[in-house]
Amino acid sequence: MVEFTAIVPEIILVLFAMALPALGYATKNSKILAGFGLAGVVLSAVFTFMMANDLSVAYEFGNGLIRVDQFAILFMFIFLAVAGYVILASAVYVKDDKHQPEFFSLIMLATVGMMIVASSTDLFALFLGIELTSLASYVLVGFRKKDVKGAEAATKYFIIGGLSSGFSLFGISLVYGITHTTSFAGINTYLSWSVPLANPELLWLAMIMVVVGFGFKISMVPFHMWAPDVYEGAPTTITAMLAAGSKKMGFVAMFKFFLIGLIAIKADWQLLVGIMAIVTMTWGNIVAIQQTNIKRMLAYSSIAQAGYILMAIPVATEYALAGGLFQILTHAFMKGGAFLIVATLATVAIGETIKDYKGLAKRSPFMAFAMMIFLLSLAGIPPLAGFWSKFVLFSAPIDAAATAGAEWMTWLALAAIINSAISLFYYVRVIKYMYVDEGECKDKLKLPWSMVAAVAICLVAVIGIGLWPDPFIEYLKQAAHSFFVLY
Amino acid sequence: MDYTGLFELAWIIPILPIISFLIVGFLGQKIKGRGGIIAVGLVAAAMVLSLTIAYAALTGGLPEQGYFEQSFNWVVLGSDFTIQMGIYIDAVTALMLIVVSFVATLVVIYSLGYMHDEGDRRRRYFTEISLFVGVMLGLVLANNFLELFIFWELVGLCSYLLIGFWFEKPSAASAAKKAFLVTRVGDVMFLIGLVIIFNLFHSTSYSTIFSPEEIAGVDQTWLMWGVFFMFGGAIGKSAQFPLHDWLPDAMEGPTTVSALIHAATMVKAGVYLVARMFPLLVHAENVMLLIAVIGGVTAFMAATMALNSPNIKRVLAYSTISQLGYMFLALGAGGYMFALGLEEGNEELMVAGSLGFAAGMFHLMNHAFFKALLFLSAGSVIHYVHTEEMAKMGGLRKHMKVTSLVMLIGSLSIAGIVPLSGFWSKDLILETVWEGRLDSIIFLGLYVLAVLTAFMTAFYMFRMWFLTFAGEEGEATKHAAAHHDEHHVDSHGSDEHDHKESHGHHEAPWVMLAPLIVLAILAIGSGFALFIGSGFTSVIYFEIPYTHDAGYWLEKFFWGESSFLTYISLAAAVLGIALAYFTFYKKRVDAPAIASKPAVKPLYNMLLKRYGFTKGYDYVGEKIVYGFSLALDWFDRKIIDGLVNGFSKLIQRSGAGLRRAQTGFVQTYAGVVAGGAVAMMLLLFFLLKLLGIEVHP
Repeated sequence: MVEFTAIVPEIILVLFAMALPALGYATKNSKILAGFGLAGVVLSAVFTFMMANDLSVAYEFGNGLIRVDQFAILFMFIFLAVAGYVILASAVYVKDDKHQPEFFSLIMLATVGMMIVASSTDLFALFLGIELTSLASYVLVGFRKKDVKGAEAATKYFIIGGLSSGFSLFGISLVYGITHTTSFAGINTYLSWSVPLANPELLWLAMIMVVVGFGFKISMVPFHMWAPDVYEGAPTTITAMLAAGSKKMGFVAMFKFFLIGLIAIKADWQLLVGIMAIVTMTWGNIVAIQQTNIKRMLAYSSIAQAGYILMAIPVATEYALAGGLFQILTHAFMKGGAFLIVATLATVAIGETIKDYKGLAKRSPFMAFAMMIFLLSLAGIPPLAGFWSKFVLFSAPIDAAATAGAEWMTWLALAAIINSAISLFYYVRVIKYMYVDEGECKDKLKLPWSMVAAVAICLVAVIGIGLWPDPFIEYLKQAAHSFFVLY
Repeated sequence: MDYTGLFELAWIIPILPIISFLIVGFLGQKIKGRGGIIAVGLVAAAMVLSLTIAYAALTGGLPEQGYFEQSFNWVVLGSDFTIQMGIYIDAVTALMLIVVSFVATLVVIYSLGYMHDEGDRRRRYFTEISLFVGVMLGLVLANNFLELFIFWELVGLCSYLLIGFWFEKPSAASAAKKAFLVTRVGDVMFLIGLVIIFNLFHSTSYSTIFSPEEIAGVDQTWLMWGVFFMFGGAIGKSAQFPLHDWLPDAMEGPTTVSALIHAATMVKAGVYLVARMFPLLVHAENVMLLIAVIGGVTAFMAATMALNSPNIKRVLAYSTISQLGYMFLALGAGGYMFALGLEEGNEELMVAGSLGFAAGMFHLMNHAFFKALLFLSAGSVIHYVHTEEMAKMGGLRKHMKVTSLVMLIGSLSIAGIVPLSGFWSKDLILETVWEGRLDSIIFLGLYVLAVLTAFMTAFYMFRMWFLTFAGEEGEATKHAAAHHDEHHVDSHGSDEHDHKESHGHHEAPWVMLAPLIVLAILAIGSGFALFIGSGFTSVIYFEIPYTHDAGYWLEKFFWGESSFLTYISLAAAVLGIALAYFTFYKKRVDAPAIASKPAVKPLYNMLLKRYGFTKGYDYVGEKIVYGFSLALDWFDRKIIDGLVNGFSKLIQRSGAGLRRAQTGFVQTYAGVVAGGAVAMMLLLFFLLKLLGIEVHP
């Protein structure tokens, strides 16, 4: 008999996603539809939680293609949380649009893809998960097809996404050709037995191909160019999902591919990935400085954050991975929260240029305060969540630099710290506009409660993790440990 | 006597102002006076507790190991990686507690009068100032560097908010931003140093890090880099060269804020940090030398800028930078000698070094009192004449008798006239630097700079005093006198201002005068702390308890073999005052004529332009960072297009369905993806070649 337990959370989401269009015939009320979708997410989270409670049993599906362990659970929760607040915020955001049921349905299907990636142990399962998420997000980005920017963004996203998928699929087939397996553990076993390879060039080529595909997802420079356009053009709640969810899925893929599959040939790629990390964070931060559109600014800031997280791969210690995971976790809340604020303010006709935020503190003290906290946290100001994740992540390379041959890693940390100082440049400007400058209009804003609630959830998380980081760090260290031990 | 129970209450100290922050912040609008009284009450309560604890700590109440510590584990990063949260009390903490809580209380009381006309905005003011006092006390009490860093960032945030208090002035808003960003440069260095220290010791707690066994067990080169970078944080916070230029701009905030944050407390955090790091620093004599040189150069340079500044607050700001330079000079010189003594096992040298440490901290305390006094007096003046330009003042002595007197006391004190407080600590600093010449010739140069600084200090302080209070009445003085007379007649009997003082109706209200008088007494008397009990240097010292009592040092420095140095520094001060007297009071020297001489004019203008640092910062910020950013953005959007233009055009002609996408150059992006893959492959080959791994492409 096939044991389905491992994919019950995914099955629940799929069932709810399928039922949503049917429900759409009964009601056109976006709040009811969102509530139904949210119920699916919560139910799925409950089942995930039940698995999380007892990890002594190995939850596997499809001959081990899918395996739920502590690492997978962590990301399933992150993805479910993102789906939850995106749906919550979208309830009002899309209330005047057509095809609402499909909108929520697609968000849930995208989440299913992400969760499959989180629990996959095999390149093919992982690839399918990525594709599922990608296809759903192409449609979501172009959801408002009458919107010129949105349609353009969707087309671009689709073309570049398709191209990148082609690259990674080609890379995967090369990997299979070399190692005769697609499971991460299998690749690792093959490589550790046959290092040094007689003909490593082919494997390097395969590696680069796969990185192009995954690098697209995490918006690694130079595969980042789609990100600002798409983030700007997409409906803003979907932007939040792309930045907080789909991007993190790319990191899961990167972690599994490099830290499990290719760990045996670590020496070959460490320096390359390290340099890509520095280039990515620097490029993102510097270009962000002179953006005038707040969504583009946040998009470039996301690219920079990707650079920070990428550092965990070349350092390749448990501590570094825990730092990377921590940064992913905090970023999901602080960046997601910032995008949700943009979305919320768009419902009351506040534009997307940074200048439109002038005098916001007077018009909506809560939104201005929340935005300030998110931005300061992104910049790594203590004692907010972003400070702790950066602290752990940045001290990892210095810790690792103590071992022989890894001295260069100090430069990683140095580059990251200097970069986060540069980032304050553009974050402070927004804060200054909100608090110091006078806006043209001074009326108080009336904001939809469900979107305020979604922002509040992120705010509580950012402040809460900032004040009590210990349990989170403890959990993430366990997750990182299980990641390295189980394979 | 066992004071442990008392010390365990120390965590309440920062909580009290925080409570005031919450109450005034949330309910201030409903309270009469917008919460000023609440802020005064709770800050004063924090002061009472601080003084009690400091008294107990300084009179031998500390446990035997020299400090009291109480903490809990906040974050556990690994079996041996922990970050704590807690309090740490030793003699230096006690001194800082006294200074911070005392000055804060007086400034908040003074603010009741000074901010009286601000209306509803007082709520914001008292909220932010309460928060500042709370986090500043937290900074002083922290038991590890990470906790200190957190409070360090928070005081920076409060400073940002308070400099920008009058945010409708564009200059205030931009000054606030400048202060925040420039000090951040230092903070980044602090963070780098912190990460290095954390990785060396696997802890940030003072009690762990400072134990000699731990220090001996770590890599000394890394330790040097760690403390070097942490000192970078001190440079930013305490406005030392080359990160000093934010402090003059910070004068855009209310004068009370300048007095509290930018003279008496926050800017001292850098000095405090260096004093805190002393056990680590004495293992890095190069860094100590750097600290001394930066301190000496800053002291001199800032003093020159004060010579011709037309703005009363700016003069005081340059003077603050200069005096902070003195403190770093003392700590650096003392530390250098101590480090050498430690290496050579030379106890005499270590004692001399320890004296430098004491001198720096002594000056920190005295400076807090007389500089707060000077700022608050200047605040009274500005409150009265509504201008900061000294050219428009003049002749105020008749209208503001008390203010002119207390400001004179403050000026004499900072100039170093015996027996006011500034004299004792400045002289101790100069003597320490002189002692250092035996070990490094650099200190001889620094000594000359320090004496010249003393001369300039006396000159610019009295230039300020004569321009403001003496001579003919300026236009602002006349205008203010006329206005106040009228106001007094109009509102006679129903005036809600409390004009109880007996010096006519021009003076500030008593809530402003009382703090001034208290501070004036301290500006005269706090130097005598050198003689209390067995002397200041026997309480605040580093490592080696004094074998000689205070009398020995007084004998040696002030009356004994080194007494000629005392005469030199006194002479410098007197000469400075005399020059100011003849130039700006007697007008024997024609200052404008000299200033406009072709040989002097460029120098004069250069000082007014602050040696071009202001422009330099802007240049780095605007041109380099922003320009670079612009170039990369342009590259992102445009240049790639040119590169793959042919490719792009080819595809553009095919497929009308893609027309929408063509405007955003999707082909370009695809080209970059493909090109990026090739570039990465090449980079990988290059790197592997670099690493010596064989490649057969």
